[in-house]
Amino acid sequence: MTEVLGARAPAPHHHHEPLSERSAHPVAISLERVSKRFIGKRSSTLAVDDASFEIRSGEFVSLIGPSGCGKSTLLRLVAGLMSPSGGRMSVNGITPREARRRRQFGIVFQSPVLFDWRTVEDNIGLPLQVFRTPKDEARARVHELTATVGLTEFLDHYPWQLSGGMQQRVAIARALTFRPPFLLMDEPFGALDMITRDRMGSELLRIWAATPGTTVMFITHSIPEAVLLSDRVVLMSARPGRVLRTVDIDLPRPRTEAVRESPAFFEYDTELRRLLIEADGQDE
Amino acid sequence: MSDLPVEPVEELRDPAAPRPSRLAGLGRALLILAIILAIWYLGAFLLQLTGDRLAGSKLPFPHVIVDRVITFPGTIAEATWATGSRAVAGFFIGLGVGLLFGILMIQARWLEVSILPYVLASQMIPLIALVPIMRAILRNPELVRLYLAAYVTFFIVSIAVLRGLKSVNRDSLDLMDSLNAGRLTVLRVLRLPAAVPYIFSGLKIAAPLSLVGAIIVDLTGAQNSLGYLMVAAVAIGPSQAPFLWAALIISSTLGLLFARIVGAVERRISPWQPAFRESVD
Repeated sequence: MTEVLGARAPAPHHHHEPLSERSAHPVAISLERVSKRFIGKRSSTLAVDDASFEIRSGEFVSLIGPSGCGKSTLLRLVAGLMSPSGGRMSVNGITPREARRRRQFGIVFQSPVLFDWRTVEDNIGLPLQVFRTPKDEARARVHELTATVGLTEFLDHYPWQLSGGMQQRVAIARALTFRPPFLLMDEPFGALDMITRDRMGSELLRIWAATPGTTVMFITHSIPEAVLLSDRVVLMSARPGRVLRTVDIDLPRPRTEAVRESPAFFEYDTELRRLLIEADGQDE
Repeated sequence: MSDLPVEPVEELRDPAAPRPSRLAGLGRALLILAIILAIWYLGAFLLQLTGDRLAGSKLPFPHVIVDRVITFPGTIAEATWATGSRAVAGFFIGLGVGLLFGILMIQARWLEVSILPYVLASQMIPLIALVPIMRAILRNPELVRLYLAAYVTFFIVSIAVLRGLKSVNRDSLDLMDSLNAGRLTVLRVLRLPAAVPYIFSGLKIAAPLSLVGAIIVDLTGAQNSLGYLMVAAVAIGPSQAPFLWAALIISSTLGLLFARIVGAVERRISPWQPAFRESVD
């Protein structure tokens, strides 16, 4: 059913090709000098200022920066949930708002945003219910995804019967049920404990590999998480949010927990940390 | 995936802790009832001792009241039915209108701002003042009773619905937006289910009050009703006091029953609510 939408990137590929090849993919999301100003009754706040970057089709790109750097605002702009105050944005050649109307985005928030009155199965099937997908087709897809995120035994459980990590896996499955070309994640593991969080990182990579062609925009304030997951990391400064620079993460895929112990991982981690600290110093 | 241990989340309740049993609850309720009756008998007995000739009408013995109900079962049953059924019917009408108003007000800020003050103002009118007006307009005590029960319910429900529909957080709305869900879908899939607990806490208050509304109409002279029974008992004189008491007890029992039924329906419709969670599995 999503195939009707047609805006999916043409280049078929799988995720484990070298980064250099993926950088030849067409640009899927582009931001040019995008800014967002929130206007209140007394004052206005510049949340994002002059943000420019590109995400290529099939890439995993993380946005990293301190709290209040407008990362979430950028995600909402890309998702077409709000309009920019300035600049140009395009998602596969159309506006984010139009892309949203064509159901191009699966979104995962920091809180799982599950509906208390729905079971795991019905929560994951929510998008398909909204799209009026035929019941049999929807059920098959939901079961397939539930298996992918490893929650088959919990299909008829309610959200409050699940742990935080499991709830977030339900949210990821829900975002992927309708095979959106884009997966937008806003600090999805931010509320989890460190151990669960690390595990969810590798989980996400595995799920991503199981949904080929999905372009991911991932927001985080954890440097190691960004390094582990991403093809590229976009560094942002504190309010107003500016793009400091973009760093390619050229680590081989598939990446597992073992990557964390490699010297290259450590180098990326150190470099990103240094860049963020430098930026912080310039601001004060 | 299989290497991921799954957290046991269902064993939260201490298995050793005794589950509160239904029977124990009933026992406690009966005990409290017995205590109330004992105090009542004692009070009535002491009043008799003072030699007050009207003691029997000021505080009749409970068995005298029961005796009166048994002697005139037809009259009492008819009165209870007349008032109770109209209260229930009015309650449902009020529920419908309240839902409609709540849903209407959530559609646009300007609608809420322009409707809400009138909804609030409607409750500033004393019910007792409304009755003669409505009687003049409707010219039928049955309809007036229905109207008043609905009127009381409508207010509580529309406020509860409005709050409930607004209780959804921004992320949920963004989620629905990202799926490009229409207004009606958002209402059906998200807003209404989220409003259920709010609506029911409103209904639990509205249910007994709808009965009060119906009785107020009775009091102004509708035949064969609980309120009429009360007025008649007072008018005829002290000898009929047990009728007054019987009507009072029946109406408060009925009110309690309504509230309990609403509670049971709520449990049935929304077992996912935090308060009911133990009973889901």
